Amino acid sequence: MGTYLVRRAFHSFISLAGLLVLVFFLARLTGDPTNLYLPLDATLEARAEFTEKHGFNDPIYVQFGRYLVQLSQGDLGDSLMKARPSIDVVLEAFWVTLSLAAVVVPIALIGSVVVGALAAYRPGGAFDRIGTIAALLGASAPDFWVAITGIILFSLTLGWLPTSGYEGNIVYWIMPVTVLLIRPFGLLVQVARGSMLSVFSSAFVKTARAKGVKERSVIFVHALRNAMLPVITVAGDQAAGILNGAVIVETIFGWPGVGKLMIDSIFNRDFAVLQTSILVTAIAIFTVNIAIDVAYAFLDPRIRHN
Amino acid sequence: MKWTRALLGLPIAASAFALMVSGGAEAAGKIVTVVLSEEPDVIDPCEATRSNVGRIVKQNITETLTFIDPKTAKISPKLAIGWKQMNDLTWRISLRKGVKFHDGADFNAASAKKAIERTLNPKSDCEIRLKMFGNVKMSVKVVDDYTIDISTEKTQPILPTMLGTMTITGPNMQPLKGDRQPVGTGPYKFIKWVPGQEVLTARFDGYWGAQPEAVGARYIFRKESAVRAAMVKAGEADIAPNIALQDATDKKMDFGYFNSETTRLRIDTSRAPLDDIRVRKAMNYAIDRSALIGSIFSEDVVNMTNIVVPSIPGHNPALKVWPYDPAMAKKLLAEAKAAGVKVDTEIVMLGRLGIYPNATEAMEAMHAMLSEVGFNVKLKMVEVSQWVDIFTKPFAEDRGPVLQQGQHDNNNGDPVFSVFFKYACDGPQSTTCDKQVDDGIAKASATAAGPARSKAWQDVFARIHELAVDVQMFHMIGYSRVNPRLNFTPSISTNSEVHIAEVKFN
Repeated sequence: MGTYLVRRAFHSFISLAGLLVLVFFLARLTGDPTNLYLPLDATLEARAEFTEKHGFNDPIYVQFGRYLVQLSQGDLGDSLMKARPSIDVVLEAFWVTLSLAAVVVPIALIGSVVVGALAAYRPGGAFDRIGTIAALLGASAPDFWVAITGIILFSLTLGWLPTSGYEGNIVYWIMPVTVLLIRPFGLLVQVARGSMLSVFSSAFVKTARAKGVKERSVIFVHALRNAMLPVITVAGDQAAGILNGAVIVETIFGWPGVGKLMIDSIFNRDFAVLQTSILVTAIAIFTVNIAIDVAYAFLDPRIRHN
Repeated sequence: MKWTRALLGLPIAASAFALMVSGGAEAAGKIVTVVLSEEPDVIDPCEATRSNVGRIVKQNITETLTFIDPKTAKISPKLAIGWKQMNDLTWRISLRKGVKFHDGADFNAASAKKAIERTLNPKSDCEIRLKMFGNVKMSVKVVDDYTIDISTEKTQPILPTMLGTMTITGPNMQPLKGDRQPVGTGPYKFIKWVPGQEVLTARFDGYWGAQPEAVGARYIFRKESAVRAAMVKAGEADIAPNIALQDATDKKMDFGYFNSETTRLRIDTSRAPLDDIRVRKAMNYAIDRSALIGSIFSEDVVNMTNIVVPSIPGHNPALKVWPYDPAMAKKLLAEAKAAGVKVDTEIVMLGRLGIYPNATEAMEAMHAMLSEVGFNVKLKMVEVSQWVDIFTKPFAEDRGPVLQQGQHDNNNGDPVFSVFFKYACDGPQSTTCDKQVDDGIAKASATAAGPARSKAWQDVFARIHELAVDVQMFHMIGYSRVNPRLNFTPSISTNSEVHIAEVKFN
């Protein structure tokens, strides 16, 4: 297992390096930040000075060389717009997104597995039908619409929840978490249901029932463990999506997360922040992927032995 | 029962903040929460011409030497109590006595000189320098403790107006842009900035002027207009400047006002067929402006004939709005064609996504109107960076004819901040060149503030109008939502400043 993890980490490092090179060059293709940073009325001389000072007029390979030297010294560069080290800016935002993901993903995973399993237990039953319809609605509901409707209903009409904000009080978390939860939850319920249906028709489940094992054990011990692999795969994908930035939720509810930061850095051509955001989120996503691989191994002895 | 209301939003934030300002819980109700669309990247007063910085610092934390009344464009004393032109190149400025910075430093000639030099430092890229003083070389000399002389290389007859944009920062701020703790002389002192969340200010007990009613301000940031409007309605915020037309639905809370923005399509007169005045006039006749008002644009917008709003001295009220006359447009096009002008050439209409509400729809509508009279136009919407590349010099030599969507903001008290940049042969964003316009700009720029200067600018605007170098559109309307607990009326200045000291409580 240890060797496997080292090999996975090495592969991830190679991918990360490739990603950074790609991002560096693609970002520069979007243009020079001078026009965005300086006011429209800035003189041509001022523009030329600015470009010169920040090295934007150097050949791109010179800029890349400079970036590599900085990187080798552990310097990820300063934000052009915010005049602060980009790593400080990114980590501030990343923890916000991570905290959202840390709440949303476990709720989505546990909740969807329970609902999916119960729905699959009696296919076509009332619970299955209601669950399936609700899951489909959840998986297809646009975040933006749900968020604005939630604000109108729960903040303006009922007055139960604040419209937005990122503060310690739990009430500020309810709407953002719910909006972010709906889609992965709906998707995972469908995956869990389908997977459980497949497992329920397996010989080992029939054998367990024939041996008189209690239904609860059949569902949640024998069947569920085998049905979890696709659920975890999709859950990992959803977690990566959230870590990559829950842009809509962050924008509407005023959560200063990394998704919004990345979008802003692209529009502002704030290259250092963009590169550092992608570096940090990519490391997080690689870590999630490795964790999923480990989870596979724990759930399925065949993978462990291979 | 709305049981959670007591636990959240304004009460919680305000109570916690109230502990930091004088008066404790009693003061909580007198903290003004302003929800802005965008968080500043840096809160440095030398960036105060950026609206997201200006709304926090200008006349709240830092003050200017002179004050430009945005409604009348008149100049009045602020930290400067008097000014006199000593000769063509030098102005003598008398400074207010008894003024302290928030950190206890004295405001005097030395600190004023230091603040001006900080803003104008070429190493800093301060927006005030780049936007307002880009072509101005000036030096400051201390005459005595409360008098300075400002000398310029060229005559600056409206220097006192220009000083209305110059924020005076404390002498102990770091010398270059990027200080994250602004210090000024204003009625509110900076308390703290939690990036991504809020900026807090509190009333400055040592303020030289009258003590304002609000004990502090809290600035929070929400990008979505609908959310900002909802926050005021829910009582979580007090002022939401700049909400979208479709969110300004409550007549009791929403205020509309000229926001000093003026929209147009810039015509590149250097490229055929746009170099022909008949073609340019035909474009103006082809636009049905009344059909755009109340549908795509607010019903309160006003047709523009000058690039500056009517409150700016020099605005020419005699100029006539181009009437909608498609028959005349077709006739002019036919005349141009008969004279050998290639009127069938494809003209690109270049729009900028989100430059103002419904910007894309506006371009689509005008595209249809221009096509209707026979223009071969192609619509292209781009994001801001691509748009700026094409909008500013140096222009690409191989460019074709372009109509470029634009919006310009000037509430700085004089057309000089607009006209040279947009219409002079050497203007950084000018796609036109006319000797009479250039001469007029030179004459107006050199004339002292007053009726003669206004007349000189009016002549320039008349010539620009005559040349039809723009497809003229509208002076725009901004909307702000204000919580009814406040007695505060947003105005043209709310586009770039929110004066917390003007807020009263009902």
